[in-house]
Amino acid sequence: MQRENWAAILLLLLAGAAAYAHATTTTEEFSRYNVGWNGTSGFAAGEVHDLRNLEPGTTLLILAPDRPFTAGEVEYLRTFLDSGGLLLIADEDGAANPLLADLGSAIRVRQGNLSSLDRDHANPGLFTVRVVENATLFAGVETVRVNRPATVTGGDPLLETSILTWDDADGDGRPGRTETFGTAVVCASEGNLIVLGDPSLFINAMLAENPGFINNLQPVLIDAAHSRTGTTNPVINTLAWVRETPAATAALAALAVLPVAYLFGRKRDE
Amino acid sequence: MNIQASHVILAAAAVAALILLAGEATAPLLYTAQNTSTAAHADPSTVPKESGKDADALIPLMGDLLGETGTLTLTIKLKDFESAERDLARYSELSAQFDNLVVKLDVTGNDIGDFQQNNQENLASLAALLNDTRRFEDLQRLEIDVLDGEQRMAIAYENETLRQKMREGFSAYAEREATVTGITDHYELNATPYRESVTNFAEIVNATEDRQEETGGSANSPLGIAVTPDNGRYGDLLSIAGTYAGGTAETPIKVYVDSRVAGNANLDASGNYACAYLVNRTPTGLHLAYATAGTVYSAVTAFEVLPGETAITLAVEGGSAVTCTGNLTTIEGRPVTGAPVVLRVDGTRLVSTETDQNGTYTEQIALPVGEHAVRAEFTAAGYPLDASESPTETVIVRSEGLSPLPFIAAIAAALGSGWYLRRRHRPAEEPAAEPPMTVSPEEEAAATPPPVEIAGLPPREAATVLFQALRARLGLPDTKTPRDCARLAPAHAAFFERYEQIRYAGETPTDDELRAMEAEARGGDEDAA
Repeated sequence: MQRENWAAILLLLLAGAAAYAHATTTTEEFSRYNVGWNGTSGFAAGEVHDLRNLEPGTTLLILAPDRPFTAGEVEYLRTFLDSGGLLLIADEDGAANPLLADLGSAIRVRQGNLSSLDRDHANPGLFTVRVVENATLFAGVETVRVNRPATVTGGDPLLETSILTWDDADGDGRPGRTETFGTAVVCASEGNLIVLGDPSLFINAMLAENPGFINNLQPVLIDAAHSRTGTTNPVINTLAWVRETPAATAALAALAVLPVAYLFGRKRDE
Repeated sequence: MNIQASHVILAAAAVAALILLAGEATAPLLYTAQNTSTAAHADPSTVPKESGKDADALIPLMGDLLGETGTLTLTIKLKDFESAERDLARYSELSAQFDNLVVKLDVTGNDIGDFQQNNQENLASLAALLNDTRRFEDLQRLEIDVLDGEQRMAIAYENETLRQKMREGFSAYAEREATVTGITDHYELNATPYRESVTNFAEIVNATEDRQEETGGSANSPLGIAVTPDNGRYGDLLSIAGTYAGGTAETPIKVYVDSRVAGNANLDASGNYACAYLVNRTPTGLHLAYATAGTVYSAVTAFEVLPGETAITLAVEGGSAVTCTGNLTTIEGRPVTGAPVVLRVDGTRLVSTETDQNGTYTEQIALPVGEHAVRAEFTAAGYPLDASESPTETVIVRSEGLSPLPFIAAIAAALGSGWYLRRRHRPAEEPAAEPPMTVSPEEEAAATPPPVEIAGLPPREAATVLFQALRARLGLPDTKTPRDCARLAPAHAAFFERYEQIRYAGETPTDDELRAMEAEARGGDEDAA
């Protein structure tokens, strides 16, 4: 075979690999298939698509929920909590509030633009909060770096900002006339239910910021049916379906083998 | 796959790669990611780091400031003026630290900024209280020592001035208590020392008034004084005027505002005087004025300086250094002159400048390449004006254009190379008069054969010796190559061509060949012929 042919084949392979990588990833916020800074591909967790099969005593993370929970699913979660399971809901835009209400919890997520002077980055939304209550999740952790969190009301406070924190309503990055300083709770608990006002703690770019907290959370299951972590695209969906469907896998293997077999047989005939 | 097809694929792949690169070429992420963020979060690895320790000091410093007010007023009340001086210096130093911190953290716009403003006014009030109390004590001693009636009158006037000033100072200090304690309660600070300072201040003023009543207040004076209008704002011109009953023309009059000389005038023929007073760096609030004509003192009168709003503009112009210009005016459009203006660059870097007589400021700032946010701020410290700030302006500093020198050098080098290559490939100029060199058989016969000795030499070296001998015999120059020789002496072309093969192709001549060549070199063939 000539050199040009090898070069062409190499290029085709590289192009194919690049196209595969491009098609099987996404840039959607919090997606498990987003390998960029704002994805959650680097967060180690087992995916759960059906809440009825939750094992008692495990930890389930519902990260940035954006789809409603049916009455049956709420019941599964309640049973899971009663069985000793730990349910961590991380939300910053209030989408989890209907679920919290259905679970009978008084905790709510209040959307806002918390900013603080208690920070070591130039971005006022990227600051440090203090652990104010003993909890397994925060064992050995004194401070947690949050990333544009929301305020959490109700329940027992677990994480609290310093007093030099304000809701930057006008978004100018500095406290204004109507933006007074004050502490805010960004994480609260109610029994086995913990509500965290900052799902950004689990994005790839933030994992290294709070290693103690991330380690304490392991092992953890993550809900892929109701949250933005499950955000995919048609190519990813197709590949996932093929992986999960044995018949489709076999058909695909056959499709790959048949042309080779045909070529091989034709050569023998010649 | 044939070559043509593979070339097509290669070309298509290359074009596709170039198109993809072109699409991303303008994206900043391709080069340096900076402040990458979305509505939900920011990428911490792209956000510049900064120290957070300054913020930690903010609230404790507020507590320290409150504590200093209590200590300072207590030492003034006890008339321990040396300790009070030290306390005031400490309070002043802490206040300066706090002011810097507030500006650095950019929190002037909320209740921390209000606390800072109130604290600055408290510092000024307590500094005045210390000076006034000490001066009052001095005057009390002087009054006892001085027997002269006019001098006693002068002292009495100054006492009265001080008393009124201290009373006004206390009123302002006490008015701020509610605001300050409201802020400190919000931050859970201990405001007890500050509340005690208000009580101490009141006690000091009351004690002063008691003693003043004991020693007698101001008396009717022949020197009148009035300030018109009795209030004004920044830039207003107030008239301080009066009549001196019994005064003679050209009598010099000195006018004092807050115990400092504010103007001079002379009595006219009618015994009147007038002096203009410009409200400039005069703090907001009540001020006292009196006049003297030699040893005669007027009564003390008061006027009020009202606060005014300001507006500040900012225009930025990019270049190698960013030029920031703007105007600072009152809301009525009056320029604020000689006022400090702070240019805040990217929220953290502060550059100080000052307005000129037209209220205009200009400052050039060297900034690194990139996009920068600039805002002008006027803190109004010491002015009867409110603080103001301009809208934030964005300026992009571009790198300086490429120097043309390398391009000129490259063009010059290319031109030089072209000239050289052209010259090199030009056909060599033929010598005009020189005839073509050939060797005729007659010339050859006439030439004397050189001695040739090849015995014992290796075959190839022997061939070289024979070539040189033949060339010499034919009278050809030593610079001629075998090929040249073959062209110039076609009769011996076979000899020279064979030698060329021996010399350059590495062939080895046989003995027969050497013998034939030797004979030819010696001229044996021609002799034989």
